[in-house]
This record gives sequence, structure tokens and C-alpha cells, in this order.
Amino acid sequence: MSVSPTLIAQLAILGFVFFMLLNSAAIMVYVERKVAAKIQQRMGPTLVGPYGMLQPLADIIKLMMKEDLRPKAADAILFTLAPIIAATTAFTAFAVVPFGAATTFWGLLPEPISLQIADINVAVLFVFAITSMGVYGIVLAGWSSNSKYSLLGALRSSAQMISYELSYGLALASVLLLAGSLSLRDIVNAQSGAWLGVIPRWFIFLQPVSFFIFMTAGIAETNRAPFDFPEAEQELVAGYHTEYSSMSFAMFFMAEYINMVTVSAVATDLFLGGWHGPFLPESFGWIWFLLKVSAILFFYVWMRWTLPRYRYDQLMQFGWKALLPLSVVNLLVTAAGVLYFGA
Amino acid sequence: MAHNLVFFYGFAALAVVSTLLVIAQPNPIYSVLLLILSFVALAGLYVMLDAPFVAVTQIIVYAGAIMVLFLFVVMLLNVSHEHAVADNQAASDGGGPTVRWFGAILAGVMAVELVWALNRSRSVGAALAGAERETAWSVEEIGRILFTRYGFAFEATSVLILVAMVGSIALAGRHLSGKKAWRR
Repeated sequence: MSVSPTLIAQLAILGFVFFMLLNSAAIMVYVERKVAAKIQQRMGPTLVGPYGMLQPLADIIKLMMKEDLRPKAADAILFTLAPIIAATTAFTAFAVVPFGAATTFWGLLPEPISLQIADINVAVLFVFAITSMGVYGIVLAGWSSNSKYSLLGALRSSAQMISYELSYGLALASVLLLAGSLSLRDIVNAQSGAWLGVIPRWFIFLQPVSFFIFMTAGIAETNRAPFDFPEAEQELVAGYHTEYSSMSFAMFFMAEYINMVTVSAVATDLFLGGWHGPFLPESFGWIWFLLKVSAILFFYVWMRWTLPRYRYDQLMQFGWKALLPLSVVNLLVTAAGVLYFGA
Repeated sequence: MAHNLVFFYGFAALAVVSTLLVIAQPNPIYSVLLLILSFVALAGLYVMLDAPFVAVTQIIVYAGAIMVLFLFVVMLLNVSHEHAVADNQAASDGGGPTVRWFGAILAGVMAVELVWALNRSRSVGAALAGAERETAWSVEEIGRILFTRYGFAFEATSVLILVAMVGSIALAGRHLSGKKAWRR
């Protein structure tokens, strides 16, 4: 039985993405701590390895060595299932995100394959569906822990998800109108080239409002500051994962960072032209992709250590009374524009 | 072809078993979760029918809807076993057998309807063959059909949902109408 090189390449991409997503969580923990330290005029981790760069590894080893506790009153099945759901959905959502142009790996393959795990024609909706499944991990964790802090965190999380998913979806819809496709690869390819030879043809310049809504809703969906109510320390101890320890806690932690990476990658594909950019040939487009994703992730961290947390009712008011009407109006204007000027 | 069959029976069995368990096991929280498992299995079947759009839409719609149901169970019916509530309800209604008969008749009507619908869908499936079936599942085609041939049904459904929404708000806000219920 012969195995085709394309299959091997696809499996290699799969393994690579899995490994990099795992790594990204560790890297993000380091970046988060270092950037936070710089913002607060501290040093951050310095002892483990050069510049403290092995600190995440030490953290992982520490977490693995800890005892996995479960409260006596917890629902055993759901308590075990919740972190698994959170981590699985976080990994699954990235499966349809393209991160580079089609390539033959410098002539190793007979025909070019695309740098993504699965190119499905409803990729945008797939990401949307999997992210909305992700909240089940959080809500189940909160409910099954049988603890009031966890439950409150979970309820806040679900309220936040239901409120912000509407704006998130409408922001996506206006980009879909411009691109005329639901495939992330087609959307990225619709953004190649430049206007007047200088301004790159990215959707962020056509849809700045939509980008703002997408990022705001994305921050709310990933439960990051200033919208980190599900785990607001001062009010809820640690929110939905109060009762978790050891690797089950690590899974929630990892899922949060991977979700951030996914939102940033999707935002890059939708608004920032994916792997298209000046100066580099198409085959090195993934460098642009990496740079853009890193920039958004840095922005995420910067936000967290700059802005204070909102109040919970402010969050709901903002979601329903400001963000949702804004995104509806934006969608109507976009639709009218597409109708008038042609797609 | 063989692996397709394996997937089909896998998803079908998952859907049937989880749907049965929704009503067969007593804990409402588990019922809600098994419901979403059965919808995910159905989505798998749609993917096997080359209809990824329907599959993904199903997950988007029901993930949100079942989350609301979940919150309803947690917030309003905070019970771990359904027996107690069901028995009390039947006793307070004073008409256990009547309710059961009504339920049985409804179930019979549903079964007849299901058989009728299945017979009908077989003829539809036969009409769409080969290449025509491919285009029939595309997002564009679904959108076009939804807003032309089924336009009336689509709009009527949305009006129905709006009525339900207004009704639930009116019911929920009834007790508060004298006070500053609509302050915000």
C-alpha cells in the first residue's frame, strides 16, 4: 500500500497546528506576564532560563504535579467533562482557519496544498458554531462544581455569550456581503492586491466599524479584560474554574488562550488580508499572517493591563443598546453599498 | 463506501440513543445536554449528505437555544430529579389520566404525521439526483428558495416567533407592570 505525499503533508500540517496551538498558550502566558510587568514597571519572570523564558515550562510541570481535586458535592461526570469540552472546542475551531497560501513545500509535492487543516465552504459559520459550543464547557464547569462562585461565573458567561454573539454574527455578515463567500480562503483571496498601488486591499479599510465590533465582541466571547466577568477575581474568587485544580484547571487556562489565538487568526483572515502583504513573496505569506496575529494578541494583552473591568450592568447595556444597534446599522449600510456599487 | 456506512450508523445510533435518553433519564440537566448531543449527531448526518451549511446552521441555532433552556432549568427548576415535580403537578391538576390520554393521542398524531412526512420526503429525494442535488444544497440556492418559493412560510414563522416573544415578555412582566418595571 502506497501513501501519497499529499496525505503525509496534510497530516504534518495537522500535527503542526496542534503543536503550535499548544505552544501558543505557553508563549502567551509568558508574553502576558512580561508585558504586564513592563506596563507596571516590574521585571516579570527572570529566574527560569534566559529572560525567564522557561517559566511557562516550569508552570506546566508544577500543574502536572498537583493533585486533581474534586469537590464532594460536584456532579462527577459533568465536572470531568467540562474542561474536555472547553479544550476540544478551542482546538476544533482552528481547524478551518487558513494561515498561508497554497504551497508545494518547495517542490516536494506533486500539486500544491493549502496551508490549513480543512477548507470547507462554510468555514466562517463553522468557527461561529464551534465558539458558541465552547461556552458549554464554562457553563457546565460552573454548574457541576456545585459552588456559588462557579455558578455565578457560569451564568455571567452565558449571558455575555448570548448578548455578544448577535453583534459578532452581524459584524461577520457585513464582511461576508463584501466577499460574497463563506469560505475563509476565498475571503482572504478577495483582499489581495492594493488600491492605488499603496493601500492594501484589506477589508478593515472598507469595514472599520465592523472590525471594531468584531474585536469588542471577540474580547467579550473569550472572557478577557475589560470583559472578564466570568472570572472576576475580586467578586467571584476565580469564577467558573474556582473548584478546578491541576491539569483540569490548565485545560480551561489553555482553552482561553487558544480561543484568543483563534479570534485573532479569524480577524486577520477577515479584516487584515490574511497572508497578503507587501515586500514578501506569496510563499512567505505565513510570516505576514504570524505578524498580524501577534499584533492583535499584543493588543489583547495591552488592553487587559490598561483598562479596568466594566461593571456587569454596563456590559449588558453596552452590548444590547450600543453594539447591537451599531452592528445592525453597519450591516444595512454595507448591504446598500454592495447593492449600489456592485460586489 | 464502507466507511460512509460506518459513520452513518454511528451518527444514527448516537442520535437515536441520546434522544431516547433525553426522556428516559430523570435529571433535567442531563436531558438538556443529551438533546444537544442528539443535535450534534444530526449535524453529522447532514455533513454526510453533503449539506455542511445545514449542519452548521443547526449547531449555531440550537447551541444558543439549548443554552437558554439550560439556564431555564438551572434558574427555575433547580431539581436534580424530575419525579417529584411531575407527580405533584399531576396531583394538583386533579386529572392525571386525562392528561395521559391527551398525551397518548398527541403522540399518535405525531407518529402518523412522521410516517406521512417520511413517505413524502422519499419522493422529493428521488426527484433530486446527481448534479442537481449538489447545487440544491449550496448556500446560495437555499437562500434563494427560502426567500422565493417558501417566502410566505418563512415570514409566517418569523411572525409566529415574534408573537411568542411578545407573549412571553407580557407574561413575565405582568407582575411588575404597576412598578418601575420598564425603568431601564
